[in-house]
Amino acid sequence: MGIAYKLAAATGAIVSLTSAAWAQELTVSAWGGFFEETLAAEIYPGFTAETGIAVRSIAQPEDSTWMTQLMAAARAGQAPADLSLVVDEVLIRGNEVGLWAELDPAMMPGTGNLKDGYVQLNDAGKAYAVGALAFYTTFVTNTNYAADAPSSWAELWEPKWDGKLGIVTTPNSGLLEVTAQTFFGGYDILETRDGIEQVIAKIAELKPQVSLWYRDEGQFQQSLESGELNAGLYYHDVTMLSVWDGLPVATTFPAEGGIVSDAYWVVPRDSENIAAAEKFLDYMSRPETQALMARMMGTFPVVPRDSMDLTDEEFDAVGSDIAPIRVQTHIHLREGDWLETKYQEMIAQ
Amino acid sequence: MIGPRTYGPRLIGGLAFGVLAVFFVIPLIFMIVVSFYQPDPMGFYKVDFVWENYGKFFSSFYYTVSFRSLYSAALGAVLVVALAFPLVLFVSDLSRRMQLFWIILLLSLMCLSEVIIGFAWLILMSESAGLPRLLEWVGLWKNPRSLSPSFGAMMIGLVFLGFSIVSLILYPSVSRRDRNIEEAAVTLGTPPALVFYKILIPTFRTSLVSVTLTMFVYLLGVFVMPTMLGRPKDWTMTVIISDKALGDANLPLGAALAVVMLIVTVLVLIVSALLTRRRAT
Repeated sequence: MGIAYKLAAATGAIVSLTSAAWAQELTVSAWGGFFEETLAAEIYPGFTAETGIAVRSIAQPEDSTWMTQLMAAARAGQAPADLSLVVDEVLIRGNEVGLWAELDPAMMPGTGNLKDGYVQLNDAGKAYAVGALAFYTTFVTNTNYAADAPSSWAELWEPKWDGKLGIVTTPNSGLLEVTAQTFFGGYDILETRDGIEQVIAKIAELKPQVSLWYRDEGQFQQSLESGELNAGLYYHDVTMLSVWDGLPVATTFPAEGGIVSDAYWVVPRDSENIAAAEKFLDYMSRPETQALMARMMGTFPVVPRDSMDLTDEEFDAVGSDIAPIRVQTHIHLREGDWLETKYQEMIAQ
Repeated sequence: MIGPRTYGPRLIGGLAFGVLAVFFVIPLIFMIVVSFYQPDPMGFYKVDFVWENYGKFFSSFYYTVSFRSLYSAALGAVLVVALAFPLVLFVSDLSRRMQLFWIILLLSLMCLSEVIIGFAWLILMSESAGLPRLLEWVGLWKNPRSLSPSFGAMMIGLVFLGFSIVSLILYPSVSRRDRNIEEAAVTLGTPPALVFYKILIPTFRTSLVSVTLTMFVYLLGVFVMPTMLGRPKDWTMTVIISDKALGDANLPLGAALAVVMLIVTVLVLIVSALLTRRRAT
């Protein structure tokens, strides 16, 4: 009897997890950790207060892993979340295989506030993704070892780091674009494989300086704060939190610009709550919400600066007026496996 | 009267076989099928039958990495057994109470997750808080540097992971061994120092070999230690496979590399099994 009871309870739990349709409840996923926690604690309650729609916030893993899970779920006709936060690479690949539901801009007037291009349209001209936020990756340093802020990305290549740099292992970190911009006069060199190999060879010059090629962000952050690493590439927003906590770290936008990444909200095709999701997107696109996110999470807004009430100080904390470096997603998608293998060989051989 | 009337054992056996089929064989077959699919950089993969994914293995990069994996797993396995066997011998001669203490200690080490162990070693080997700082304080190291990431750090991580497993596998047979043989050897003039090599190692040779092979297979699949404690030069095939399958969402290539590693592992096991059997007869 005990087993039967447990089974029934477990089945009940699974059913209530998978079919959020019966109540006015949205399941929203975002990158686990600080991001997801702050969204749930500070941003979603305003939406619930206004619409009466409860938000169940869940943590999602790293981008490609999450895409793999979303694809597998779509094959089974399920949506692990009604809304999901994804970067443009996942967005484009998902769109290519019809993973996202179509949205109606008329139902979400708030999206009119967004900067141009932040409502993504598919080949049929229908909206399928709405800009959520942008975030910067910058040149971060430990101030005990590097008192002066670096002025150019070129300083990464200088021998002063004592072999204590930390760099992301994946080729879409933005380092390719930084190198092209800093040493090869722009992104054009990345258009040919020959050019990409030249850029990778330039990055290979960093190898003696890099003691950690990281895939785990926690490991990088802990090493930078303790001085185990002196500098590297890392998220601007997370580093700002450490700065405010009084840790000896700094984040700098070099002359060539910080690396900007856009994140979008998408609705998986099999979600049963598309109407509620559109209300959610309407709320998240408003300048007030965008300003609140900038203050609470340190993310860079996707609405024009003059539409928000952010002070200069608040704006400078989340971004910069220097034109950003942008990951050339179309090149990464086109060269796919070839580029990833070349890059990985450069690091691991 | 002798038992064929009870279906219990058969039922349990059948159940075990069913579970094995559902949770091991079917995913394995699925992996082999996926390894022949065509990866699609713009989407996910297309159902197809191509050898392309296997072809990619035969580039210098992948087989360098797979030799590297075999080497570090083999070295790690030998080190673990070489360290754990003497410890188990030592523990088995202690009082009952002390034996219990060691067993509980080893069991509790097994509860720790790989990530926690990795982080603990990272801190222990860091120049700001760990062993290097201690050596500087004692005056043995002038300008201390972090000891990780390095091959040695990764090996320590691997040995730590496998240590309690090997000890607990060896413990039952070692503690129940016939100590009269050792006594007889000493009485007949074997120097006590040589008893270990002349008596104990030959007695336990079969179990030592089998536990080394078990460890080899286990360490081949370890992911966290190489990424946390090893340099990129030390990354094993497991790391590369997960980068391909999850990081790049290229499941067909990841699956093909995994199938190749599976074949290599099975070959290594068959060869070692044949070699030990020949020597035993």
